[in-house]
Order: sequence, then structure tokens, then C-alpha cells
Amino acid sequence: MAPVTITNVRKRYGSAEVIHGVSVNIEDGEFVILVGPSGCGKSTLLRMVAGLEEISSGDVRIGGKVVNDRPPKDRDIAMVFQNYALYPHMTVYDNMSFSLRLKRRPVSEIDSKVRHAASILDLEKLLDRYPRQLSGGQRQRVAMGRAIVRDPQVFLFDEPLSNLDAKLRVQMRAEIKELHQRLKTTTIYVTHDQIEAMTMADKIVVMHDGVVEQIGAPLELYDRPKNLFVAGFIGSPAMNFIEGQVSAVNGQPAMTTDDGVVLPVSVPRALLQTGQRLVYGIRPEHITLGEGGPAAHVSVIEPTGSETQVFMKLGSNPLVGVFRERIALHPGERLGIRLDPGKAHLFDKTSGQRLA
Amino acid sequence: MRHFRRKASGPLVAIVFWTVASLITLFPVYWMFAVSAKSRVQLFGSPSFLISSFFTENYLSTLSDPAFQRYMTNSIVIATSNALLVTALALLATYALSRYKLPGKENLFFWTITNRMAPPAVFLLPLFLLYTQVFVVADVKLFDTKIGLILLYCVFNLPFAIWTLRGVIDGIPKELDEAAFVDGANTWQVLTQVILPLAKPGLAVTGILTWVFAWNEYLFAATLTSVNARTITTGLAEFVTVTGTNWGRMAATAMLTLVPALLVLGLAQRHIVAGLTFGAVKE
Repeated sequence: MAPVTITNVRKRYGSAEVIHGVSVNIEDGEFVILVGPSGCGKSTLLRMVAGLEEISSGDVRIGGKVVNDRPPKDRDIAMVFQNYALYPHMTVYDNMSFSLRLKRRPVSEIDSKVRHAASILDLEKLLDRYPRQLSGGQRQRVAMGRAIVRDPQVFLFDEPLSNLDAKLRVQMRAEIKELHQRLKTTTIYVTHDQIEAMTMADKIVVMHDGVVEQIGAPLELYDRPKNLFVAGFIGSPAMNFIEGQVSAVNGQPAMTTDDGVVLPVSVPRALLQTGQRLVYGIRPEHITLGEGGPAAHVSVIEPTGSETQVFMKLGSNPLVGVFRERIALHPGERLGIRLDPGKAHLFDKTSGQRLA
Repeated sequence: MRHFRRKASGPLVAIVFWTVASLITLFPVYWMFAVSAKSRVQLFGSPSFLISSFFTENYLSTLSDPAFQRYMTNSIVIATSNALLVTALALLATYALSRYKLPGKENLFFWTITNRMAPPAVFLLPLFLLYTQVFVVADVKLFDTKIGLILLYCVFNLPFAIWTLRGVIDGIPKELDEAAFVDGANTWQVLTQVILPLAKPGLAVTGILTWVFAWNEYLFAATLTSVNARTITTGLAEFVTVTGTNWGRMAATAMLTLVPALLVLGLAQRHIVAGLTFGAVKE
């Protein structure tokens, strides 16, 4: 176990820079998830920590030591790849013991470590099989087993669940989390799936276009996104955004949408300027039903059993609401809704930054 | 019903087709065997494709002939060394071409094949001069040496081997190298413990084809050797003399040269297993 510190790391391919000075502190034993859309640089950053990509500038420290110029084998890390990368000509046992055999560990030690890891991952009966004889979930477990036997300072996971079907993904998610609670090894995990990030991480690093947009605990990111990107990326269904400009109602600050709908806001007046363009963000579950607020028109209703998702239009703005109760609605129907100003997020349209 | 009939007749047509094709292909070999099994009198007295009695003398005299033994040994040494050297060098070259970012590597890859673009006969005279006049250190020449032929065949076979193996190495997922690097392997260990076992089918094919090339090569072997490094192909030609051709001995020698080739093919074939990388990475 060791802390990992990434300081002002950049990655350039020729003249194109794909990671623009990223800094992340990962505490000893922490489970950190790098999340962001495809091409945001999260996998490249992980590969730089692993030593599979050169670092153009900046430092990566593992256990306090700069590892920039160390090859992967001298970094004391283990990595689980998106497509498993199991050695097809080796049995499960040989796959798991490969790293220990390279280190020329005694046979008895190799055997006990492999069997211990196999028992954690429920692979004992599969040790003599070849990767081609395993299912996707079993292969994924072997890939994790290969990492566990190393007993490394840091675990690196590169989108390990994206090739599994939905049900298995949920199951493996829980297994990886349980494994981390058991081993308490520092873990860096890359995914594009924000649900994985929210459910598994101690700390989430949201990346976009090669920069870090926000670092924080899952609920911190959910409750107080720093900017429009994080607000839109974290949460499913995504946060609703309504554009408008600053106005005042009875002396109280408000936002008037381009369709003339007035939405009260609870942001200190000092932060707002008259005529300033704003984006009003409200999470689907923070829309409540009731008269006295603006009226929306229902377009689509999606009952999932446990909740009802209602797609509607407020003026020309599309909105999604999630309601726990089963409500009988029909497309085209008028729906009185309330947007709680206390739960709303207000962003400056130009900078995209949160106002309060 | 019609569909059913077509399905049932499919294998029958295939069996007939391949049987006829095999007979046509194997007939010259049988003919050669028939010639080798007959004495001169049997051969010219009453010509027939059938073998009435086996005339062993052709085989016995060939096997006990020191010239035949030397030619055979030379051919085996030259073909096998050439196949091993070419396959090893091609593996190293294609691994580098496949995995490293080398400036102009695609050009390099393409230009390796250019020495196969001219007819080999074009190189005959320059090579003869090089081997007899230029590559001479003290009394040591490349002319009429096994190493001379081995090196020459390498020059001709390497481009072909690199082109064959490139696809094989490119087909091995790069993540396997990376996984091995993270597992603590160095480049040599990745090459020998991960790439080599997975490239076996491709290496076997490359090995067989280069071996067969060297085994069958006549033009350079006839020109660049005189006594010591003569190969079996040149030896076969020696049965054609101004006083006549010893057809029986020639056919027996040719039959015997088939044996090592069949052995090599049989040994290498065991490693040609398709789909060895299945299950390595999620496709």
C-alpha cells in the first residue's frame, strides 16, 4: 500500500497535448475513480501511472518516490485491463503465477499465494483451465487474481467491467468493492460509467478534454458540482438545464427563461448582475408536483415500476422528472410542477462555473 | 426436398473432386517411385506404370554412395540452419516493426521485399564474383561453403518471412505485452514467454516454407558450390551425363530426398494450430 501523487502531469503526442497539467493526490488505501467521456485522457493518465506511456512533463510519485523513469516492473503495481489480457497459452494457474515465477519466488510460496487468491475470487475449480474455456466474468476474475497474487502497492483498473453484460457488471462491481475493503490496497480505477464511479469510489476525479474538472467524494460531486460539465455528467438521468437571465421579482433575485418563465433563485444578490446569462440546473428528483409553480407539458412517460420518469417541456426547455409515486399521466397533459430554489444549481452561462 | 438432395450430394461431389485432384497431384510421385523400383532392363524393355518386382539395387547403391551422403547432409544442414536463422531474425524484426514507434518503419517494411522483385538469375553473376573475388579473407572464401549458401538463402528468405510474420505478430494483442511488462517481465521475457508461444503457428509456417525453399533451390547451389557444399538438388542433376542418364538411381535419390522434407513438414505441422490466441482478450 502506498499513496500516489500525480503532479502537473502533461502528455504530448508530437505537437498535440492530450493531458494538460493534471494533479491528483491519492491517499494510502484510497479507492479513486477517474471518470469522464471517451477521449478525456483518463486511460492515458492511468497508463502513465502504470509506466506504459511516457510522461511528457510533471511527476508521478508512488509511495513518495518519483517513478517517471521506472519501467512498469519496478513500480510495484498491478493492472487489470479492459479486455482482460490473459495469456492464452497458459492455464489460469500459470496466468496467476506468472509474475511470481518471473521473480523466481519459491514454488511453495507461489502455490500458496495463487491458491489464496483463487479462494478469494472463487477460482479454485478453474485453475487448470485455459482462458478460452472461461466465461467473460470468470476471465475478469482471473485478471483480478493475477493482480492480487502480486500483493502490489497500487491496483490499477482500466475499465475492467465494460465488456461484461449489465447484470454481471453489477455483481463484479460489488466484488471489486468488497475486495478493496478486504485488501485495502490503494486503487486507481478508470471508467466512463458514472454509476460505477458513484457506487464504488472513495473519491472521484472527473476529467474532460485532458483537464480535471472536479475532485471530490461521490455525493459532494452530486450535490455541489463545480461547473456545468460535472453537473451534466454525474447523475442519471442527467440534471436538467434551463437557460435564462437574471431578473428580480418583488426585490428578490430570480431567473427569467427565454420563454418568460420566472424561476426564483436562492443565490446571494451580490453574485448576480442584471442581464447576466445563467443556466439553472435542477436534478430530476428535485422536481415535485404541485400547483403554484410553472406549468409543464408532458411528452413521454416511462414507468419503471419503482419510479416514474416523466419527460416534459417547460416552455421550449425539455425537462425530466423522476417521481417515486405512480402517477397517471398522458402525453400532452398540463402538469403543475415546483422547482425548489434551495435544491437548484446556478451556473454562469459564459464561464460554465457554479455561482454559489 | 430439393434442398435436402443438394445437401446430401455436396460431400459426395467434394470427395470425388478431391480424390481426382489428389490422384493427379500424386501421380508424378508414383511414376518416380515406379521408375526407382525398376532395373534399367525393366524400365526400357517393357515400359509400364505397374511394378512387378521391386529392384532394390537403385536404393542400396544410392544409400551407400558417399557423394549422396555428403549431398544429403549438406542439404539438411543448409536448409535447417537457414530455416532457424531466418525464423529467428524475422521474429525479432517483426516484433520491432510491430511494437516500436520507428520513424519510416512502413517504408523499411516495404523495402525489405524489393530484393525479391528481380528474377534471381539477375544476381547470379554478381554473386559469383562476390563469392569468389570480393568476400575473401586470406584463403577463406564464401564460394563452395555451407555458410555461404545459408547466408544467401537468408537474404532471399528474410523479406518473405518478415512479410508473413508481420500479420501474425500484429495479430497478438499489444495488451498481452503490457500485461507481461506490468507483471514484471523485461522485453526479452515478453518475447520468449508470451510472443513466441503465441506466434508458434506463424513461425512453423515460416520455418517450413523457408526450409522447403532452401531444400529445393538449385540455381545458386549449382553456381556457388563446386565440391564441398554441393546440395542434393545439384546431385540429382549429376545423374544426367554425356554418356546417358541413370534414371533408376536418379528416381531413387529423388524419392529419398522426399523423406527429410516429409519429416520436417510432419514435425512443424503439429505447431500449426489455428485460433491459439482465442480467449486472450475480449474481441
